[in-house]
Amino acid sequence: MPRGSRLLKHLLLIAFGLVMLYPLLWMISSSLKPEELIFREPGLWPSEVTLDNYGDGWTALKHSFGYYLWNSAVITGLSVLANLVACSLAAYAFARLNFPLKKLWFTIMLGSIMLPHHVTVVPQYIVFAELDWINTIWPLVVPKFLATDAFFIFLMVQFIRTLPRELDEAAAIDGAGYWRVFLQVILPLCMPALATTGIFTFIWTWNDFFSQNLYLTNSDNLTVAVALRQFLDSSGESSWGPMFAMSIVSLGPIFGFFLAGQKYLIRGVATTGLK
Amino acid sequence: MSESISVTPERALAPKRAPDQPPGRRRRTPHVNIHRRREARAAYVFLAPWFIGLFVITVGPILASLYLSFTDYSLLEEAKWVGLGNYTEMFFEDDRFITSLKVTTIYVVVSVPLQLAFALGLALALDRGLRGLSFYRSVYYLPSLLGGSVAIAILWRKIFGTDGLVNGLLSVFGIQGPGWVSDPDTALGTLILLHVWTFGAPMVIFLAGLRQIPQSYYEAAAVDGATKLRQFRSITLPLLTPIIFFNLVLEVIKSFQSFTQSFIVSGGSGGPVDSTLFYTLYLYLKGFKSYEMGYAAAMAWVLLLLIAGLTGVNFLASKYWVFYGDTK
Amino acid sequence: MNLSSRKTMWKVAALSVAVLTAVTACGSGDGGEGGGGEGGKTTITFAYWGSDARQKLTEQVIAKFEEKNPTIDVEGDFSNWDSYYEKLATKVAANDAPDVLSIEIRGLSEYAGRGALADLAGKVPSADLDQQVLASGQIEGKQYAIPTGVNAFSMVANTAALEKAKKELPEDTNWTWDQWMTLAQEISAAGGVTGAEYNFNPAFLQIFAAQRGEKFYDGNKIGVSVDTLKAWWAIHQKLIETKGSPDAAKSAEIGATGPEQSLLGTNAGAMGMWWSNQLNALTKSSGSEMTLLRMPKPEGATTGGMFLQPAMFYSASAKSEHSAEGAKLIDFLVNDPDAAAILLSDRGLPTNSKVLDVVKTKLPETDQKTLAFIDEVKSELSPIQVPPKGALEMEDILKRNSEEVMFGKATPDAAAQKFLTEANAAIAG
Repeated sequence: MPRGSRLLKHLLLIAFGLVMLYPLLWMISSSLKPEELIFREPGLWPSEVTLDNYGDGWTALKHSFGYYLWNSAVITGLSVLANLVACSLAAYAFARLNFPLKKLWFTIMLGSIMLPHHVTVVPQYIVFAELDWINTIWPLVVPKFLATDAFFIFLMVQFIRTLPRELDEAAAIDGAGYWRVFLQVILPLCMPALATTGIFTFIWTWNDFFSQNLYLTNSDNLTVAVALRQFLDSSGESSWGPMFAMSIVSLGPIFGFFLAGQKYLIRGVATTGLK
Repeated sequence: MSESISVTPERALAPKRAPDQPPGRRRRTPHVNIHRRREARAAYVFLAPWFIGLFVITVGPILASLYLSFTDYSLLEEAKWVGLGNYTEMFFEDDRFITSLKVTTIYVVVSVPLQLAFALGLALALDRGLRGLSFYRSVYYLPSLLGGSVAIAILWRKIFGTDGLVNGLLSVFGIQGPGWVSDPDTALGTLILLHVWTFGAPMVIFLAGLRQIPQSYYEAAAVDGATKLRQFRSITLPLLTPIIFFNLVLEVIKSFQSFTQSFIVSGGSGGPVDSTLFYTLYLYLKGFKSYEMGYAAAMAWVLLLLIAGLTGVNFLASKYWVFYGDTK
Repeated sequence: MNLSSRKTMWKVAALSVAVLTAVTACGSGDGGEGGGGEGGKTTITFAYWGSDARQKLTEQVIAKFEEKNPTIDVEGDFSNWDSYYEKLATKVAANDAPDVLSIEIRGLSEYAGRGALADLAGKVPSADLDQQVLASGQIEGKQYAIPTGVNAFSMVANTAALEKAKKELPEDTNWTWDQWMTLAQEISAAGGVTGAEYNFNPAFLQIFAAQRGEKFYDGNKIGVSVDTLKAWWAIHQKLIETKGSPDAAKSAEIGATGPEQSLLGTNAGAMGMWWSNQLNALTKSSGSEMTLLRMPKPEGATTGGMFLQPAMFYSASAKSEHSAEGAKLIDFLVNDPDAAAILLSDRGLPTNSKVLDVVKTKLPETDQKTLAFIDEVKSELSPIQVPPKGALEMEDILKRNSEEVMFGKATPDAAAQKFLTEANAAIAG
């Protein structure tokens, strides 16, 4: 690419990026303003910079905010692991193996993501209450080990199906069974799909307010997503400054995970496997 | 392995056989049944966690919601059987139901293609060929991290409010813009933009998909003297179709279920004047604010049928435009 | 090939089963909490909503209670306001309701009427509570809820903003809506700030209707007439026309936010209507002094229509297995000065006269002001109405139809009819 057009591309990407990021910039700026000035002074540039919101926000709740970060990290970490394992297993079967009623099971799998969860939440709650799992992390984690996030199964099925079947067959001729094909041929070539699954699971679990709020009620079990909402009370007084500050803090881990994950995201067939 | 290297794009493009058909080698083996059985057994082991999850966790609540859709269920009292009452009320007596269906349909029809085009365009721009792309990729993903945040309502007002960024820019040109978020004529538009703005998820999937295309195809095409545009049309686009298809199916499903944005931006009301009353938001309000969970369940099943129908059409249509690497 | 494949297969299968059993075993292992018995201690749950500040106070008050009642363990079940009812409803439906819960007046009939709440009469001593306010927790003679404290929906004025526009604080004992609108218009015209922000709060309509001799809820029907609705919307429309308020879109935008982002809260407006407990938030975020005023009246009206409303109630679940302990907690929260010394006005100004005497001096300045205001208007107040089932939806229904009028999507006549139809349907259900 000629130098001029490269420069132009950079400029375009930066300009466009700034527009995309305006809300984030506003949030960062607000988190640095004294709390009472946040809405009085609508501009982006703070007239007065303070870190009070960070200090206040970190200690405003029952535990320090780090405690909630850790709670979230545990649930999120287990969820990522669970989805990677369970969904890739199921995806391989759907994408590569033949078995009776495959079409039906596939349809059911897809169908299970089409029902709005608001109507299944009560029956589901009853199931977990029967198991005595309320106020534990199991309602949030165990379903993921059981591949209930069908979204990711479908994602990986689509990725596996872009891989030429000759690969499996070549490996089979070399004497590999299904498990070896899966572990040694398919999985390494599915890095981008696995990375996508990992990243999305991380982000969605980290931000999942609805079920965490429902199942983790004890104030010692709260997660970041729930803790952040505690700064706001639309019926009374809200702590906007600390909320913005802690929102920025809680973006850290997900952004970090994204940065780490994106290395694998681009390590597809193009850069490994097939040459 | 050398066999597989010779898969040329042209060969990959041609849909010659139904994807589920087993490869030829197996058909010719004498012990067909043993192989089949062994394969099926392996499949069920691979699927074991999913099956357990399906029967223990997923199916029960889904069937329960189906039953509840035929009842009058306040959550606080026992459910009372009302037959098809909820369904007839929905279609013949409830204007807000029709409104929510309209609002959601407009939202899906406009925002899904926009978002996917946007995501694909950026994925192509950020794929390779420039230094610092991984930085841009991360930056461009940031909006999606914010998408479901509690702060988004305020942030969106900062952009589309009466004194927001957009009107600030417009006023430079002497235009007095409306209060985009709170005007019933434009509020849905801002939510569509919000959806487009959180293009990160499909973008990432596109990026991952682009990396699944062997570089050698491009090299071969370049040797043959194909232009960039021609390469895009004959290599990138066709080989990316499974991923485009995936994004399309998923975004349609997800957009029909959109809830959070409207819930947060409109303060849970779907306002102003029901202009952002998404289907699932209305369902939620019915279930948890009007205490008509039976009605909400019926709405959920209507939505399920609607989405399933659309997805079915999508799958049927996919036979004509989606190409899989596993069809030889 | 087959041997190695099968081996790996079994290994993986065994591993996944092991993980699962381990996970599930841990999960049910620490069950058994929430029951009774362990070392003679009873655990009860207490559900409430609010902000970080309230959570801290509540944790403190719970600790105090446990100190005084060593045999009872209270587990706070905290939720933010927006998801409070969805969570509560789910738990009630799953037979897992908290033993003690907070509820506000609009949800009271919903839960009491459907049998989710216990009658607390005789279980929680209530002799020292304001009897009129206490009555707002009664339905058909049963005390389903004990009020935590009170609020009044009133006019709030930014004193400095009025001064800046060279206006005096109005004499509020007999001021009229026309005077208020003129004042708003004049303040806006003076430049700087907007005169008033309007709202579609049902409390505003309730007061306005009472001034015209109508009840908001008349039994199980809406008692507000079409004419009253039209007159009410005429106030909003006139404010927009005369620029006494921002236009419909901007008003809708502000209306969707809380006190911190309101015109008053950002020093961009001079007057607005708020619940008296929001005075704190308004004062804090604006940094200006705020004054509570009576609501204006129509010319010649005999009643002011204002009313005291419990900020919230404490209730006990009808199915609680520990109702005695639950009642003890509620008793402590409303009757014990030690509890009040921690909570102060967090859940509204206490209505227990003995408690109030003890904590009066500890209240911050804004609360003192509110207390003085409430004392002053007390004799003029209308009795409290317990709204019927479906009242939780009223705010949305009113707002939706009002905005249709303001945005010119419907005529006031049509919108009034529609409001009545929808509102009556909601409370009939």
